[in-house]
Amino acid sequence: MEIGPIWRALMRNKTAYVLIALQIAVTMAIMVNAVAIIQERNRLMARPSGVDELNIFHLESVSFAVDFDRAAAIAEDLEAIRAMPGVVDAVASNTVPLRNGGWSSSVATDPGEDVDGTGVAIYFTDDHGLDTYGLNLIAGENFAPTDIGWYGLSSTRWPSSGIISREAAATLFPDTPVPEIVGKTIYINSNDDIRIVGIVERLQAAWKSWDGVERSMLVPAFLEGSGTRYVIRTEPGYRDELMPQVEQKLAEINDGRIIRDMMTMDETRARAYHEDAAMIKLLVFIVSLLTAITALGIVGLASFSVARRTRQIGTRRALGASRPAILRYFMLENFMVSSVGIVAGGVLAVAMNIWLVQTFELTPIAWYIIPVAMIALWLVGQAAVFGPARRASMVPPAVATRSV
Amino acid sequence: MLCMHNISKVYRTDSVETHALREFSLTVDEGEFVSVTGPSGSGKTTFLNIAGLLEEFTNGKYELDGNDVSRLNDRDRSRVRNEKIGFIFQSFNLIPELDIYDNVDVPLRYRGMKAAERKQRIGRVIEMVGLASRMHHLPSQLSGGQQQRVAIARALAGEPRFLLADEPTGNLDSAMASSVMELLTEINNSGTTIIMVTHEATLARRAGRNISVRDGRVNSGPAMHIAAATA
Amino acid sequence: MIRYYIKLGALSIRKNPVLSALMVAAIAIGISACMTILNINYVMSGNPIPHRSDVLFHVQLDSWDPNQSADDGGLTEPPNQVTYLDGTALVKARKARRQVLSYQSSRVVQPADRDLRPFEVNARSTTADFFPMFDAPFLYGRGWDQAADDNLEQVVVLGADVNERIFGGENSVGRTVMMNDDVYRVVGVLDDWSLVPRFYDVTTQAFNEVEELFFPFSVSVAKEVGGSGNTNCWKPWDEAGWSAFLNSECVWMQMWVELHGADEEQDYMAFLDAYVESQKAIGRFPRPANNRLNNVMEWMADQEVVADDVQVLLGLAILFLIVCLLNTIGLLLAKIMRRSGDISLRRALGASRNAIFSQYIVEAGVIGFCGGILGIGLTWLGLRGIEVLYRQYEFVENLVRMDWVMILAAVALAIISALGAALYPTWRACRIHPAAQLKTL
Repeated sequence: MEIGPIWRALMRNKTAYVLIALQIAVTMAIMVNAVAIIQERNRLMARPSGVDELNIFHLESVSFAVDFDRAAAIAEDLEAIRAMPGVVDAVASNTVPLRNGGWSSSVATDPGEDVDGTGVAIYFTDDHGLDTYGLNLIAGENFAPTDIGWYGLSSTRWPSSGIISREAAATLFPDTPVPEIVGKTIYINSNDDIRIVGIVERLQAAWKSWDGVERSMLVPAFLEGSGTRYVIRTEPGYRDELMPQVEQKLAEINDGRIIRDMMTMDETRARAYHEDAAMIKLLVFIVSLLTAITALGIVGLASFSVARRTRQIGTRRALGASRPAILRYFMLENFMVSSVGIVAGGVLAVAMNIWLVQTFELTPIAWYIIPVAMIALWLVGQAAVFGPARRASMVPPAVATRSV
Repeated sequence: MLCMHNISKVYRTDSVETHALREFSLTVDEGEFVSVTGPSGSGKTTFLNIAGLLEEFTNGKYELDGNDVSRLNDRDRSRVRNEKIGFIFQSFNLIPELDIYDNVDVPLRYRGMKAAERKQRIGRVIEMVGLASRMHHLPSQLSGGQQQRVAIARALAGEPRFLLADEPTGNLDSAMASSVMELLTEINNSGTTIIMVTHEATLARRAGRNISVRDGRVNSGPAMHIAAATA
Repeated sequence: MIRYYIKLGALSIRKNPVLSALMVAAIAIGISACMTILNINYVMSGNPIPHRSDVLFHVQLDSWDPNQSADDGGLTEPPNQVTYLDGTALVKARKARRQVLSYQSSRVVQPADRDLRPFEVNARSTTADFFPMFDAPFLYGRGWDQAADDNLEQVVVLGADVNERIFGGENSVGRTVMMNDDVYRVVGVLDDWSLVPRFYDVTTQAFNEVEELFFPFSVSVAKEVGGSGNTNCWKPWDEAGWSAFLNSECVWMQMWVELHGADEEQDYMAFLDAYVESQKAIGRFPRPANNRLNNVMEWMADQEVVADDVQVLLGLAILFLIVCLLNTIGLLLAKIMRRSGDISLRRALGASRNAIFSQYIVEAGVIGFCGGILGIGLTWLGLRGIEVLYRQYEFVENLVRMDWVMILAAVALAIISALGAALYPTWRACRIHPAAQLKTL
């Protein structure tokens, strides 16, 4: 292994190699951080919402008739929907997870206006909420049908009971074990008390990027206002055929309102994470293209470098180098240049990652990505130089004696 | 030591057949200093390439130290070149990015020699050609004559069976040419076989025996007479 | 001489088609990556209303919670919307040249044609000055006036699409539209109006389309139509009902004023300060006074309308271009070193170093130009790709349009990059000695 002489020769004619090393370094830095971003997005997208996504769809009923009787309409609608075959349950709520629109409020463990609160997402629902969303009650109990009231502009206070998500419970009462949080009281709107009657394992809020996305609270009330969001859960496999059926049924029951924005929970999730999915695709494309360009750059510069040294190759062959020896020489030379680039790239990648973490609040990369990227680039570099190196090994020894 | 018997080399292209060597025979004994002369196009470069195992030949037999090296594979040929032949080229063929030490080192690396032994041999041959003080200079920092001396050192480092020199003084002025020829004579005097290809009569006279080549054949005629005619 | 060099450059390119093609491709790909993202960045951070952006100011008052600032303790910013109380008081005072108070709402349009089903629209409830202030383009008719606001006239300005849907695109001024069981009279129809971003309300999504119809703020409030954007409240209100909501500290509407020149700005700011003082006296505005007047571009910067993802991609695209340029430098170097015989010869024949430099810089410029042209095409492809990738966002079609500025920028960037990449190889070319390489010819 002629590492010493190869290195000394490199040092004396650096330019082409510095260019390759720089390209590799920048490629490495981009590759590592792109992977970090991709991993982050994938992690975000993989978070379960807590509801039975496969079997839920939702739609909005917007009333426009001036004499629209909301309470009667909701009762009528829910009864009709719940009676349809294939429907597991339905509620009249305000939103579903990941919809990017909804209610949130600050709740605290003590009453008062100057108490620091914790933000939670609010889901208005009745006693069918747990079954409709498919939530897992891990402590306490569901609302009773008699608990259900109304909330809106005409209310003087919030409903007096609530079911919260595990994360909300842990944030509000960090030192209390979960089963003991049932029965505790929290305060909303500064002074309205809410007794925690139950805790569910998980229910995400409507905003995927909110840092309180895992903190939610269900309250037993119908929401006043002209828009109602019906959430319907079906038996497995029934969802797609039920959707137009429900829409039609609601249109038949009441024509003082329009039905709009009907969507499956799957699609709601896809829409919520649309930009993340797109970013991932873009990054994969950019990294692939970049690697291809760098590989081609290596092929180009290596070809040129080999062509420039034809006489040297012939001389080495004359001096006793076999073809594999010449091949190994150029592979080793490239390996050394790549290594410089890769190590520099690793440093650059970490620096870039630190900057990204600070500026865009990215999660720092997992350590193992860097060695994996290094190995990948080594392989790419070696594959790229193989062609020119093989051509070098085919240079006939007789080149050495050709006149200048 | 070296025996080429009825070597012929034919280059074939689509339409043309060129006979570079025809029934070329040569025997060289150990310790000889043989010059091979001829005008350009006579085939002496082809002879050189074949003698140095740089090219294969079409017909004939080539024996080195009793071993038939005619039809070896690439790996074995390379090994024979490395162990038995020391090349000296007209344009020196030193690697410009390597210093003197590393240049002389090249053939020893292909022999897989250990570092300590390499260092010892390199030191010895560089000393022998009188360039010990320039061991870490680059070729570009040396004169033509000095570069050729380095090439000679490189050729000697592996203790080859014979040196094969191709117009060793072709790119040198007369003063440097003289000193290089003196060095070669000295090396031959201490027992190393030398085969030198040249078109210059004055150089050829320094050798012990002269073979003249014309149209790919050995010219059978008094060596000196032919050499004078082509001088 | 430049023409001679261009000719030499073109000849050289033809003689080395593969190498030249690689160089052009490398530059084109790098440029297109940059220009694709730059285009999006450029549009996103562009001025949506250049001829008026200096005179339109967004108003902020800090009516928020004494215990916590509106941005959750971050930079102690005032809330990004105003309360009904404050907004109406400021509009009524009419201290600016013009002022507008508005909010996004939602309406159900009930077409008279029985065949057309009722449909929901995004609406904006606004005071009259909206249309002149934001230079809304009218196809037919005009906006309403102050009197209509004061008299709670049920008038409406339709967007082009809604007009198309209900009236087949005709001049519907004077005709009526039923919305939520109420009759409104059409006073104007807007032309296609593209505001990128929709600067007057960026509280939900900065790049949403302009609303589909507009009706008077006073009417909207009278009919108890709530906002369909963000409604944020820090203080509970004691009573129930719509009036209680109106009198609460909830922020849910946007206030803009029109001021020309520094004097008017100062005067208005003084007025805001005085107003807040007077409100403090009656027990409101518990936080220290923190009034803001930001013109359009200042407000856009404050609200950071350019998405984070776009900025990350921009950084990546620039690095991508750097890699492509490093590639180009290498290829140029290889090309020049291969031509060292030619250079030696020219030097021997009397070309000065400058001449060699100029020759190869011009050649690089030619390559850059070709790369730029190809880059325009690739950028167009890139933008189509972005359009497909982000197709869920309807506004993306606004972001992926290339205007002449971007096209020229692409070519300029390509040429500059090529010239920059050529500097080192060309400098190496100049250092080739006149006779050094002659033997190798």
